[in-house]
Amino acid sequence: MAGNTVGRIDDTVLVREAQRGNRAAFEELVRHYDQAVLRLALHLTGSESDAQDVFQDAFLKAYKSIGNFRFECSFYTWIYRIVTNLCLDHLRKKQVRKEDAPVAKDSQGEEFDVIGQVPDGRAAANPERDLMRRELGTRINRALDRLTPRERMVFELKHYHGLKLRTVGEILNTTEETAKNTLFRATQKLRGSLSDMR
Amino acid sequence: MKCEWVNENILLYVYNELADDARYEVEQHVARCADCAAELKAVRKFNATVSSLPVDEPSPNLLAASRMRLQEGLETAEQGGFWQRVMFDPWAWLHQMRFSPALAAVLLIVGFAGGVGTMYSILRGTSGSNSTIALEEHVAPIEANITGIRSIVQDPGSNKVSIKYETVTTQQTEGSLNDQRIQQLLLFAARNNYNSGVRMDSVDLLTQKPDDTNVREALIYALRYDSNPGVRLKALSSLGAYVKEDVRVRDAVLEALLNDSNSGVRTQALNMLEPVRADSSVRNVLEHLSQDDKNQYIRSQARTVLAQLPEID
Repeated sequence: MAGNTVGRIDDTVLVREAQRGNRAAFEELVRHYDQAVLRLALHLTGSESDAQDVFQDAFLKAYKSIGNFRFECSFYTWIYRIVTNLCLDHLRKKQVRKEDAPVAKDSQGEEFDVIGQVPDGRAAANPERDLMRRELGTRINRALDRLTPRERMVFELKHYHGLKLRTVGEILNTTEETAKNTLFRATQKLRGSLSDMR
Repeated sequence: MKCEWVNENILLYVYNELADDARYEVEQHVARCADCAAELKAVRKFNATVSSLPVDEPSPNLLAASRMRLQEGLETAEQGGFWQRVMFDPWAWLHQMRFSPALAAVLLIVGFAGGVGTMYSILRGTSGSNSTIALEEHVAPIEANITGIRSIVQDPGSNKVSIKYETVTTQQTEGSLNDQRIQQLLLFAARNNYNSGVRMDSVDLLTQKPDDTNVREALIYALRYDSNPGVRLKALSSLGAYVKEDVRVRDAVLEALLNDSNSGVRTQALNMLEPVRADSSVRNVLEHLSQDDKNQYIRSQARTVLAQLPEID
């Protein structure tokens, strides 16, 4: 197989090899992105099993359709596009399920979504601070849930993963300007929700 | 008014999305304008609040589990699946073909193209070189094309019967010898085709690329197991060049020399071992042959080669 393994093999080389049916090349390509993809899926879905499903579906989809990749964008953008679309599907399904979503009441008697909880693996050194942080986490999640899937996605990619708006636009197959406006709407809504909840 | 412009851009400023000159302007303005400074502070606070939902790195366990699951998924996924689909047991296939006369009595048939459609799309998907694919239109069931019956269901109270069956349709593909797909098909043909003429053709073509490990394996396989001596001879001639560098090739040639039923193949094998005649395993075989072999020519040849070897201390 061409290329030495000292340092990182260029994506382009790996993609071309993978397109010729070289599975090892595809697997190497996966290794360039698997952590980032899992991180995104985990944070967006808030669930390890959902994140794994997104991860699996994304890379399998990439594997099956890599023959159609024409280098019009970078592989980075392409894989993020696949993952993002799967995340959007997940968000839309979640919205539909919201009517049946189990809710619980916290210490104030306020309802909070059980689904929206972010699992926190850290040991509870300060239970009160932990509780406050969990409540804040719940509020943030609830505020995020009020966004449309697209707004949520743009915000997620921009705020939580630091992608440039231009990249976000490419990933969502739209312009940077549209991504920017979506971001504005998202942050306005969030600021509104969070100040209401205080 | 300036404040309006700054207000619109404060979010972008905080996210570091502004061009350098715009960023400078915002900073300059905020230093002088209390309202805008307050807005900046509010946006920063909002940012910090939202960030308290941290982006955790996936745990090593989760990452490892996801990677493993993906590995398994890739193995059965369509691209790799081509090989699995195409590698079927030809004897079971032939056996099933004899079952087909039963269909002559059927009134209603539901066709099911089975794996054919997928095969077509796989061949389609892995493009890259000049290749064309012709797929025959769905034909009426011909006995020779049927590979198996999936189910037979009778409509209650009537003479109607529904049968699901699987067919093989002939497809054609073109491409160069460097085309991965073409190579895969050749490898398959060399091993599995019941028509020795086709096997001969495929081995012949494969001999043009014997430095590929897969091809070499297929040639060794052909040398060992092919029922047709012509095919075996062809495989042998091509492998000859690698007898010195590849131990597996050398051993396969030795086996052919010892066990092949065809003396022409054996003779050729003996000649091919010339570069490695000094190897101890070869020497042993030659000694055995020179004494015990039933074929006189082989016996004398073996003796000749041994005589030319340097004495061992």
